[in-house]
Amino acid sequence: MAKIRVIINGREVLAPLGATVLEAANQAGIDIPTLCHHRALKPIGACRICVVDIKGQRNLQAACAFPISEGMEIETETPRVVAARKLILDMLFSERNHYCPFCEASGDCELQDLGYRYGIDHWVYPTYIREFGLDATRKYFVMEQNRCVLCQRCARACGELVANHTLGLRMRGAESMIHADAEVPFGESTCISCGTCMQVCPTGSLVDRRSSFMGRGDQSESVKSVCNKCSVGCSMQIMTRGGNVLRIESDWDSPVSGGLLCKMGRFDPLYDDRTRVTQPMLRRKGKLEPASWNDALKAIAKRLDDSEAKEIGLLVSGDATNEALYLAGRLFQKEMRAKNVGLISGATPDWIGKQPGTFNDLVGSDMILLVGANPAKDQPVASFLVKRLVDKGMRLVVVDDGENGLAPFAETTLKMADIGKALEMAGEVDRVAVLYGMGLTEKAAKTLKKLGKKAAYVALEPGFNTRAAVTLGMNNGFKASAAKVLYVVLGEQDWDGGKILQEAGEDAFVIAQAGYASTLTDRADVVLPSAIWSERSGSLTNTEGCIQMANRAVEPAGEAKPDWEILSLLADKLGKKLGASFDDISARAAKELK
Amino acid sequence: MSKVKIATDWLAGCAGCHMSLLDIDDRILPLLELVEFTSSPVTDLKHPPKEGVTVGILEGAICNTHNIEVAKQMRERCQILIAIGDCATFGGVPAMRNLCGTQAALNRAYLETESTVDGLIPDSPELGKPLDEVVGVDKVVKVDLFIPGCPPSADALFYALSELLAGRTPIVLPPQYFKYD
Repeated sequence: MAKIRVIINGREVLAPLGATVLEAANQAGIDIPTLCHHRALKPIGACRICVVDIKGQRNLQAACAFPISEGMEIETETPRVVAARKLILDMLFSERNHYCPFCEASGDCELQDLGYRYGIDHWVYPTYIREFGLDATRKYFVMEQNRCVLCQRCARACGELVANHTLGLRMRGAESMIHADAEVPFGESTCISCGTCMQVCPTGSLVDRRSSFMGRGDQSESVKSVCNKCSVGCSMQIMTRGGNVLRIESDWDSPVSGGLLCKMGRFDPLYDDRTRVTQPMLRRKGKLEPASWNDALKAIAKRLDDSEAKEIGLLVSGDATNEALYLAGRLFQKEMRAKNVGLISGATPDWIGKQPGTFNDLVGSDMILLVGANPAKDQPVASFLVKRLVDKGMRLVVVDDGENGLAPFAETTLKMADIGKALEMAGEVDRVAVLYGMGLTEKAAKTLKKLGKKAAYVALEPGFNTRAAVTLGMNNGFKASAAKVLYVVLGEQDWDGGKILQEAGEDAFVIAQAGYASTLTDRADVVLPSAIWSERSGSLTNTEGCIQMANRAVEPAGEAKPDWEILSLLADKLGKKLGASFDDISARAAKELK
Repeated sequence: MSKVKIATDWLAGCAGCHMSLLDIDDRILPLLELVEFTSSPVTDLKHPPKEGVTVGILEGAICNTHNIEVAKQMRERCQILIAIGDCATFGGVPAMRNLCGTQAALNRAYLETESTVDGLIPDSPELGKPLDEVVGVDKVVKVDLFIPGCPPSADALFYALSELLAGRTPIVLPPQYFKYD
């Protein structure tokens, strides 16, 4: 892109044509304070904190919204600019309750930072006595209207990023209020609790319930990781303090969704009330008893050694890390030559064949065909991406027999049997993106393949790491009845495989590698406690094939160990060396997944 | 050279800022070589002398008519008035009353607490009348220097007094002493 020359504080800066003054300054390392502006949102120039002096302009201009032009001379911190910023701050502090000592965000607040930066040591204008109310009708976070500065970041995030359009601004001037839908309590609104508004709030107006007053930004540590609630694979930051997880925040540098998270990813992991398995257990004389790692692994190794390859069954969760899947594959399929291997939740049918498509392909398309998938429920962030495009005029056709969360946004909703009609509609446009899921039928797949090169196909896999498991050849028709020794790498997944246990029969030797207690761990002959999302490192492959590293933020509960480490220890007991270290295994897994 | 005279007083506060002033520890000895504390709530003489002082220091918020009188008297009798602490600068903890209203706060405190028997809201003519709104000192009299903090650190107070003694008036405290949260 063409670059043009501007002069900021006497310094020559080259910036792309079309950039704003703020972008040009940031690029040159010149700090201009902002409040209503957020890097993920479009500028609206509402708060005017970023005003700068531009030669030739009669008034001060908002840097966040003012585009640069060739030779523009900009001053960012003149006495006139500073006086204007102070005036704005004095006015901001005069409205509502910005008294820091009893605010949750104190120490972690952009308004307070500005107060310090510009020496606001008292309130110049009288504040007024008025209760603006606090809305605590939502489960995960509260809206404290008294702390609101009306920057509208929340409402913009809700509309621009999540395309949910729940939040808005009503009334004008001092009467302005952020509200949900037609002024209903937030808990009764169309809010989907993705928490994006809370993440962008610069003050203590939107506050997480679970972690409030538990640690300010600088008192907590942040670990970059990857959400493992669905196959979109959003990056996230796990905030911890003193070895405890406080909350999950999104990561604006995320290569996948650019800083989005949903309720499933941001809140659900912290409200998980399933009982953890924290100790190895071994069935002795019919009774499941606590055991040492050594005894438990020895018992498994002995049993596996004594079994023939065709008696061994391996079931893995699509939520396990690449490393765990790789080791399970190496150990069971290559070393022990077991063929009875399967995925607990299956995968999308492979009738479409290998068609590399990414979420980015949605953007360049003229129409999205959503076939046999319900991302609004299963991969919410993918549904945000679709809704965002629909807002901009993208045509959406939903082909699904069941209830579909995106149906209200589609121009047409068809039954799977009418796939031919979808094909006809796709014929009207140049580029089509096909998002398909578990519900795709063989007939529909054959029809869709007729789209040929004009279509990009993106599968919405169930589970998190299912794509990796499929690539590693783990979805090849598991038969429970053939398994005399059944090894289940369940991890954090819920167990609903009662039928599998029934088919395997009472005599089968069942090994459960699981994070949570379930009917599987009750039935198992050996239980190995596995570490959960916050306690393990490992790479994860999302549904597009993008590999990201999830990092451990806290110590595993009790004696739990990461899945890859458990499999590695088991391999040792079986006398097989499968990898020297985590990095080694990780590199080997990545190589096989390429 | 005669000593610089300083008078202090408190309004609706908790005495914490005065404690912070005492927290300058042994630095108070060289300070006393240069200044004279004429009056304060913790000494025998409570009111600033009629002939006036150079520096007046006020802690606490304005929350009743008595506070206004004290603040006005201090303002009349000092050349430089310093508001110290979050209460004097912003309204502070007493200003939390603004969120429910004065009458509701009085009812809760004197009539409705679980342990109250035959409660009565004090209304002796000797007492100041509660105001409808709690405000900082600067909303009643002119303030020359604000030192926020709950309480401000002893270092912040010592720095401000040292600067004044050196003939400089700090407009806003430097970042290391400037903290109100």
